[in-house]
Amino acid sequence: MIPAAFDYERADNAEHALSLLAEHGDEAKLLAGGHSLIPLMKYRLAVPSVLIDIGRIGDLSYVNDGGDALHIGALTRHRDVETNELVRSEAPLLARATSSVGDPQVRHRGTIGGSLAHGDPASDLPSVLLAMRGSVIVTGPSGSRELAADEFFTGFLETAVGPDEMVTEIRIPKAPGAGWSFQKFNRRAQDWAIVGCSVLVDGDTCGVGLVNMDIRPVRASAVEAAVASGADAASAAESAAEGSDPTSDLNASAEYRQHLARVLTKRALEEAGKSSA
Amino acid sequence: MSVGTPTLRQDAREKVTGAATFPADLVPKDALHAKVVFSNQPHARMRSMDTAAAAGAAGVVAVLTAADVPVNEYGLTAFDQPVLVGVGSNERVGVAVDVSRWEADHVAVVIAETPEHAAAAAALIEIDWEALPVVADLTEALRDDTILHPEVGGSNTYHTLKIRKGDVEAGFADAAVTIEQTYRLPHQEHAYLQVEAATGWIDHDGRVSVETSGQWTHEDAEQIAHALDLPLDRVRVRYATIGGAFGGKEDMSLQIVMALCAVRLRDLGINRPVHCCWSREESIIGHHKRHRGVIKARLGADRRGVITAVEAEVWLDAGAYNYTSTKVLGNAHLSVAGAYLVPNARIDSHAVYTNAVPGGAFRGFGGPQGTFVAESQMNRLAEALRIDPVEIRRRNLLEDGSEGITGAIMPKGVTLRQVVDACADVASTSEPLAAAPLFSPIATLPAEAAAVRRGRGFAAGYKNVGFSFGFPERCEAEIHLHGDAEDEVPVSADIFHGGAEVGQGAHEVFCQMTAEATGVPRDRVRGHFSDTATSGDSGSASASRLTWMAGNSILGAAEEAEKAWRNGERPAVGQFCFVAPPTESLNPETGEGNPNFSYGYMAQAVEVSVDVETGHIRVDRVVSTHDVGKTINPALVKGQIEGAVVQAHGYVLSENLVVEQGRIINPRLSSYLIPGIGDIPEHVESVVMELADPLGPWGARGMAEMPYITYAPAVIAALHDATGVWFSEFPLTPSRVLATLSDDAATDSLFF
Ligand SMILES: Cc1cc2nc3c(=O)[nH]c(=O)nc-3n(C[C@H](O)[C@H](O)[C@H](O)COP(=O)(O)OP(=O)(O)OC[C@H]3O[C@@H](n4cnc5c(N)ncnc54)[C@H](O)[C@@H]3O)c2cc1C
Repeated sequence: MIPAAFDYERADNAEHALSLLAEHGDEAKLLAGGHSLIPLMKYRLAVPSVLIDIGRIGDLSYVNDGGDALHIGALTRHRDVETNELVRSEAPLLARATSSVGDPQVRHRGTIGGSLAHGDPASDLPSVLLAMRGSVIVTGPSGSRELAADEFFTGFLETAVGPDEMVTEIRIPKAPGAGWSFQKFNRRAQDWAIVGCSVLVDGDTCGVGLVNMDIRPVRASAVEAAVASGADAASAAESAAEGSDPTSDLNASAEYRQHLARVLTKRALEEAGKSSA
Repeated sequence: MSVGTPTLRQDAREKVTGAATFPADLVPKDALHAKVVFSNQPHARMRSMDTAAAAGAAGVVAVLTAADVPVNEYGLTAFDQPVLVGVGSNERVGVAVDVSRWEADHVAVVIAETPEHAAAAAALIEIDWEALPVVADLTEALRDDTILHPEVGGSNTYHTLKIRKGDVEAGFADAAVTIEQTYRLPHQEHAYLQVEAATGWIDHDGRVSVETSGQWTHEDAEQIAHALDLPLDRVRVRYATIGGAFGGKEDMSLQIVMALCAVRLRDLGINRPVHCCWSREESIIGHHKRHRGVIKARLGADRRGVITAVEAEVWLDAGAYNYTSTKVLGNAHLSVAGAYLVPNARIDSHAVYTNAVPGGAFRGFGGPQGTFVAESQMNRLAEALRIDPVEIRRRNLLEDGSEGITGAIMPKGVTLRQVVDACADVASTSEPLAAAPLFSPIATLPAEAAAVRRGRGFAAGYKNVGFSFGFPERCEAEIHLHGDAEDEVPVSADIFHGGAEVGQGAHEVFCQMTAEATGVPRDRVRGHFSDTATSGDSGSASASRLTWMAGNSILGAAEEAEKAWRNGERPAVGQFCFVAPPTESLNPETGEGNPNFSYGYMAQAVEVSVDVETGHIRVDRVVSTHDVGKTINPALVKGQIEGAVVQAHGYVLSENLVVEQGRIINPRLSSYLIPGIGDIPEHVESVVMELADPLGPWGARGMAEMPYITYAPAVIAALHDATGVWFSEFPLTPSRVLATLSDDAATDSLFF
């Protein structure tokens, strides 16, 4: 289908984007890579009357060494994250998960900020943010605030970003020696995940983020607790679907998704166990 | 020498550069645009339709309804479908035209200045429907509570074929083992890249003309002439570049309605062409599918695995209209016992009307359904008797001089034994299976060696070449040879042929064969194709027949042209109509008869890896073995083999069309999953054999359907080899595989 008509504004920088947001209010949507928003508009599930294009804000595309954490600009394309040397060495889980997003065309357009701000439970990167206990810098008219991963995803396609705010940066704690694994099960290579799982094991602490297991991106807290109390991979993974509420659709029933969550979490824990230094 | 060489196909450059013009590229500058309005009613009777608002809407030129269609019926093998469902139509047809039996029945055509105007106006059409009970599937149809086509008879089961051979009871009494199983077969969508599109106009000779993509220009023209009540020579059909067909463009989609638009515009004094292009959703909802069905089968054999009896009941869901169901049924009927010597058989095959999407032509044409059952039965038999699957086939194969399942002696050139042996040899089926190769980085199978099981499967079969069952099988060609009066040999040639280039490379092959037959170099041969105004009737691009039939017609035309050349005519023109050896329809009670004049033979060995924790299957290797008689173009033969394997891969593994209460639930390529580049088999080895067909041009056999047909049973056998579990139903979606594996585990554990 063809999207409904809309006005188009191009933002030169973050401040400009914020002032345009203030000007157009609820009617407006930020456009980053457009790879989630435009499909929604084609189905007319989103009908913004103004699009504020932030895709060309060059100074929000970067990966910086922030000491304990990597600071990644919200407009950094998947491809630039995936191939970045700092990301590869300090947060290989993020590099790996990003490289499994869609196909090369998608990765050359889509952005890390858009992927998180979209709040889609089927997206891969939220599971990384959860597993690595990253945070998101959200900037509004009155300045910036930092939201932990657990505060960020609030509902189906909903995040804690206010209507007059935008995501400007993503912070990923460095985990150079940690064990990690990203598992993604799909019906076809290059498709969205049916279920996915990100795991980071760093000494005694472990982070497990799940893809597509609820209406929002979720953490498998029961698994994390089981690992913390010394359970092995197989028994910890038993509780991977605990409290989850996945959808049933033509590709998979909720039960099958829950089964997959257990299988993928077990494999991820085992793989992470092997790779941890 | 041109035949046998991988010449560059004549359309390669334009396709690679994007210069090729497909029907949707050919929108004339002054064209009007049509929207074909679907009924969206799987079963309902129209009380009334109000088109006033649509007709008065902005940009609208005309709204056509049932009353505009002179003879409101069509159908390739039976006129059982209204062109436009509606009231106020003429009385000249047998089928009730005010009843919609399919969600994609057409009810109106809106002609407007732009596609947007046409679509907006279409939404204003108001229809009062009386709901009728929806006959959703075979189970409901067989109750015969609601009869969908009373004009055909008193039952939804409207066509039955039988085979009664030998003494079946005695055959089963002699059997040491009996395999009995019910199989369920799914729909499949053709998913050609190029959706239906067409342009209609009145040409400079006043002919009603349609440019589109299809599989048989002359048949399209006949269907148009019938419905519009026109003499055949007043209708012209030509094909633009065709972006795939696979049987899905065998039947009418836009042909008749676009011709109707051209005629009505002329009547209104409007001399403008009209164009229409379907969306992907319209395409998937609006054309037929490979038949779904249920097949019950019983196979008996002695201790050595020699078949003593076969019994089968085939039920194909024909959907709302016949399309080519009766013919598809014929192929399922012939193949359900396999390419084996069967002394005793009882087979009943039925086509059944429902309110689902019609079943129709699709690569293999009933062969895949029948062969899936025949080969699954054979593989189960091999397991039951602990005989090697290749060896058990060797003990039963048809050979030259064998009597086929319908009692007729097989046409000469039965090479199944050689094909089976070559396949087993290349695939080393007698060697143990190697460990799983490393996972491809783009496969989705998680690398968990402990959960991966490997297995190998084998299947073999045959498929007829050409139209069967007494259908008149002919093909015309015309060749012009050019040169000066004093030239010894012609310097260039023109070939005029109707045969459709659906992507398979037919036109290149026609040019190669023309070069070979006339001695003119390939690059001095010009082709003129697929236009009823310039070429004779070729028959369709289907049934693996086109190379075989066209080749024979070209040989004949070349001979005629050669005679004219020797008589000094310049250009020397040769016309020829090749008529294939006659075939017979089957005796309605016994099934006896000689249904076909030629067959192709194939065997496949497949290796799979199965992740038993997720149900994910990866096909590691396929050895696809074919006797093609003579390779006209090696690159194109290989293309057909690899393409067919990939298409069958989708059929058996991922493609899952959901049809509920007469509606397709997932008419999109985002939810109907055809395999992508990361999902197809890792290695496909094409083993091409050249054991001449005595009647084929240069010995060639048809081959384009064959690599499709044996793939599903080979994969199912490999899955069994890997897991110990037989599947009698597919697609093998991961959740189905996992559920079946765990069900079976549950049953197994009862025995502990
Ligand atoms: C064919 C295809 C396959 C895909 N496959 C996958 C996959 O396998 N895995 C996966 O995870 N994703 C997949 N995606 C989605 C892809 O990763 C998108 O790029 C991503 O989800 C959205 O990023 P974007 O930059 O395109 O955002 P956009 O589409 O531009 O925006 C998405 C939403 O976020 C908002 N937004 C964007 N940027 C900001 C910001 N800085 N601050 C606040 N709000 C913002 C927008 O207003 C909008 O509501 C696929 C997409 C396509 C088209």
